[in-house]
Amino acid sequence: MKVSIGDVVLPGDYFDEISTDNAKSRVVIGPGLRKEEDHVYITKAGVLKKKNPHTYWIDSYQKRVDIGGSTTAALSYLSFEGATKKNRPEVQVGDIIYAKLVIASKDMEPELVCIDSFGHKGRLGVLTDGFVFKCSINLIRKILSPQCPLLESLKNEWPFELAAGMNGRIWIKANSMKETIALGNAVLGAEFMSQEEIKKMSNNISATLAGHVY
Amino acid sequence: MVPERLQDFKLKPLKCELNFLSKSDGSAILSQGDTVVLASVNGPLDIKTTSQNIEKATLEVLFCSKEGKPSVADRFKENVIRNTCETAILGCLYPRTGITLTIQELENYGGLLTCAVNCACLALINSGVGMRHVVAAVSCAVNEVGDLVLEPTQQEAESARALLYFVFDSRDKNLVTGFTEGTFSEDTYEEALVRCRLASDFVFQFYRDVVKKYSNVI
Repeated sequence: MKVSIGDVVLPGDYFDEISTDNAKSRVVIGPGLRKEEDHVYITKAGVLKKKNPHTYWIDSYQKRVDIGGSTTAALSYLSFEGATKKNRPEVQVGDIIYAKLVIASKDMEPELVCIDSFGHKGRLGVLTDGFVFKCSINLIRKILSPQCPLLESLKNEWPFELAAGMNGRIWIKANSMKETIALGNAVLGAEFMSQEEIKKMSNNISATLAGHVY
Repeated sequence: MVPERLQDFKLKPLKCELNFLSKSDGSAILSQGDTVVLASVNGPLDIKTTSQNIEKATLEVLFCSKEGKPSVADRFKENVIRNTCETAILGCLYPRTGITLTIQELENYGGLLTCAVNCACLALINSGVGMRHVVAAVSCAVNEVGDLVLEPTQQEAESARALLYFVFDSRDKNLVTGFTEGTFSEDTYEEALVRCRLASDFVFQFYRDVVKKYSNVI
């Protein structure tokens, strides 16, 4: 079936708007789209989106990120700030790492680093204490989006740290167990809420929490 | 397609819930009439080297019947579903990995296999695995008089002279899988194929409605 921007699409649908665009400009075909001979075909179910000038993708629901590897990723000892062969960083098996991918190719083992290209660690590195839970990728994208009021409204209520990874894992750390649980529930509860509902929920949670703490 | 003709094709009422299971990568529960099937997808995952394929993903299908006892009929269903889904999945996007598809029969009042194939397709849609197209299964029975009955009930299927199963893709409505039981003439087969192909539109429209319902809340 032929579809256009904003439509709900299924795998096997195709759309033609790209080919009719100005041929000189660069077109970016994002996740969920695949070019085959004559048309651009859709490979995931969701909503077809476009960002000007020529970026197209499918907004779909999924729990697993396609980083090109179902296998384990490599993390080098030397990919930490100030690490040398003699001065090894303190990383144990089972530690939670906030890292980014340098290689994400379909045919090679993915590789992680905890430094940027200047050799600084920034916020990357081992995350100590805290609590990790899994969620869908859509939720990660949702809370990371600048329009989402969740973290904006929660951060004024009580102090906490949060790291949301695009692999569907969120790490949170707050001063007390109660605050951690409240934060975790707030994040998970926001998955299917609109912006107004999220604001209302954050207020509710902070009010309840305040009632318990004092 | 003539609208009046489409009205004649009454399929069983379809009801579906996506993301039914919290831990799997994708899941769906589908009821077609009184027949209910639950499907779950996990993957692409790392699998043991002996079953890895360097060119595409390995699809593993497990069919669990209500009694829980594995039988030859279940293996047959697994084979049909695996072959059907392998054409639908873009396996070349996930080389050297495995995708597991688990199907649990919950209620069987006829049309179990079509329900299982459709449910598997919905679970794959929910998991976000790259797919070439979606598939829709429609079954058809030839009764004692020789008339065609779409989506037969248990009684109709038992008394039928022949049963025909078809699976179509969503691109050009090509036949993906087709198999039959019993005796029938070549013309009957041709007519059943045409009717089921028309009826598959309902199933594809249903998939679209389900995805639409879920895309509003994300």
